[in-house]
Amino acid sequence: METLLSSLPDIPTAIALESGTSAAVEIALDVRALSLWYGKRRVLEDVSFGVPARKITALVGPSGSGKSSLLRCVNRLNDEIAECRVEGQVLIGGADAYANDTVVHELRRRVGMVFQRPNPFPLTVYENVAYGLRLLGMKHRRELDEHIESALRSASLWDEVAARLDESALTLSLGQQQRLVIARALAVGPEILLMDEPASALDPAATLRFEELLHRLAERYTVLLVTHNMQQAARVSAFTAFLHEGRLIEFGETDALFTNPRERQTEDYITGRYG
Amino acid sequence: MRHGAAGDAGTWLIAGAASICLAVMLMVLLVLLSAGLAPFWPASLVELQLRDGRSVLGERVATSDDTLILRTSERERAGGAYMRIADRDIAAQTRADDAFVIALADGRRLFGRGDASAAAVMAREVASNAIVEETLRPNAMGTPTRIAVFFRHLGRFLGTPSVASASVGGALPALVGTVTLVLLMSLIVMPFGVATAVYLHERSGAAARLVRSAIANLAGVPSIVYGVLGLGLFVHGFGASIDRALYADRLPVPTFGSGGLLWAALTLALLTLPVVVVSVEEGLARIPASLRAGSLALGATRSETMWRLLLPAARPALLTGLILAIARAAGAVAPLMLVGVVKLAPALPIDGEFPYLHPSRQFMHLGFAVYDAALASPDAMRGIPRAFACALLLVGVVIALNLTAIVLRHRLRERYRALES
Repeated sequence: METLLSSLPDIPTAIALESGTSAAVEIALDVRALSLWYGKRRVLEDVSFGVPARKITALVGPSGSGKSSLLRCVNRLNDEIAECRVEGQVLIGGADAYANDTVVHELRRRVGMVFQRPNPFPLTVYENVAYGLRLLGMKHRRELDEHIESALRSASLWDEVAARLDESALTLSLGQQQRLVIARALAVGPEILLMDEPASALDPAATLRFEELLHRLAERYTVLLVTHNMQQAARVSAFTAFLHEGRLIEFGETDALFTNPRERQTEDYITGRYG
Repeated sequence: MRHGAAGDAGTWLIAGAASICLAVMLMVLLVLLSAGLAPFWPASLVELQLRDGRSVLGERVATSDDTLILRTSERERAGGAYMRIADRDIAAQTRADDAFVIALADGRRLFGRGDASAAAVMAREVASNAIVEETLRPNAMGTPTRIAVFFRHLGRFLGTPSVASASVGGALPALVGTVTLVLLMSLIVMPFGVATAVYLHERSGAAARLVRSAIANLAGVPSIVYGVLGLGLFVHGFGASIDRALYADRLPVPTFGSGGLLWAALTLALLTLPVVVVSVEEGLARIPASLRAGSLALGATRSETMWRLLLPAARPALLTGLILAIARAAGAVAPLMLVGVVKLAPALPIDGEFPYLHPSRQFMHLGFAVYDAALASPDAMRGIPRAFACALLLVGVVIALNLTAIVLRHRLRERYRALES
């Protein structure tokens, strides 16, 4: 882990954002010239941008633009797909996720992921959150209890499930399940949270709660959020990246990008002319 | 309208097929129950006055249109005193209350009339060195007594060892042999079957395709072929080598070099491997991919994901595989005849003597007992009912083992039910 953090000396700690704001921002995740192929099909083409630390960055774009694939490059979940090939770099805290000496399962502990549909394990609420902790070798009940409570509190779920820890996670509502999988991800202490359309399966009330949670999470975590919902991107994110057909069209502060897009394609998409 | 008519025909066809299945199932149960339990019922004794002046006492064991077969006192050997009597030769039939039947431990039955002392005299005269198991007076019994005797006979059948041959005495050794064999087979086949299924689930290359088609072909191999394989590979191959290496002092008497429980269990494990692999692999495939992705995203390796998440979630499928394997194994008799089943085993394969389980011992099996009683018994009048009784017991064993697994699976399904949606 140490070598992972200390390699590569030329880490940019700040970038001048293309939209013109020149505020120095700490970069937690730096995507450099990333290209991705599934077999012969090129899904991402030379994507480069820096995700600011402890902020919500939204990834928007039409279906098939490569948003989810980009997300899955960060924790290398694409490795599970046969015939998947990656070029370029994904620097997390300065270390390349695709370096030869990267231990994939350690990388994934630093990069939590929340999926489109809540995917709690068919275990109790308690064991769902304990799953990652047990992988880390945590065995003592008291230690587990503490970590689990703190993770559930961070995910704004503790008050609702404190009395139901031994019930199956599948008995929770969808909104609760989605917060449970966030707690599960938080428990192993990630730096970055990847969220793949996390609110698309939720009803409006649950979505609202979820967005409040996102704001709170952004105080401590770097969040990369894929969303189809422009209003949501505008509401919750500080930065937005617009992808189209595998290419990064525009990246910048959300306000600027939504009110005054530089690219024609971006404008067309956010005003709903296509996508 | 035409569409509606076709739908009706389809409905009738389906309903008909389903009812036929149900009817066949009921018929099998009825036949097994009636024929299988009949031997334990204390039948009435009849005394026939024949037209030539003789009178004979015994049990009626079979009747046809114009004759009946009567079992009379077996003074020499079991099955040695049947009389075929034409109906027209019978002047009268009586059921005297003082008629008694003496059942000897070697399977013979003696019939007579009189009080207790008459029975004692008869037993002493005819069979001075045989053990009297019981003396019954069925004609004098009311229904409750007969029911009590029926259950006593049934209990003795289930609880006592066989005598002289599998067709006399209890079925305990065959029962123990069958259950031990099936359990040992399960212990062997489950780890191998699950491991193979995991391999097939995780890999998709040419090697996996080869393994998969090999397994599909294994499923189609007739069971007797497995018997020959077990004899050649396990008994003559492994067994002989083990004997040369570890039991050289006992040679030429074979220890593992002849058929035995272990080799039979291994043979059955080969036989049932395909069903386990197929159902476990299907179970793994049914688990949503999102669970696997969720586990990997938390930093679990592929094997951690398999052990901690996928296999536990696939437990119902594991049990389905086990149920199918048990059903197939319990019904396979042909291969066992080559690798260790015997007509009469001197000792149980499992007993109180260290090491408690004796994998090299030959053993008895209910399936073989059915075959032996039905086809190889010197006394067909007893053999056929006994075959039914053993078959009924075998079905009972399979149902009991399966029910255990089904109850377990049901409880697991409750936990994972939301997964299926």
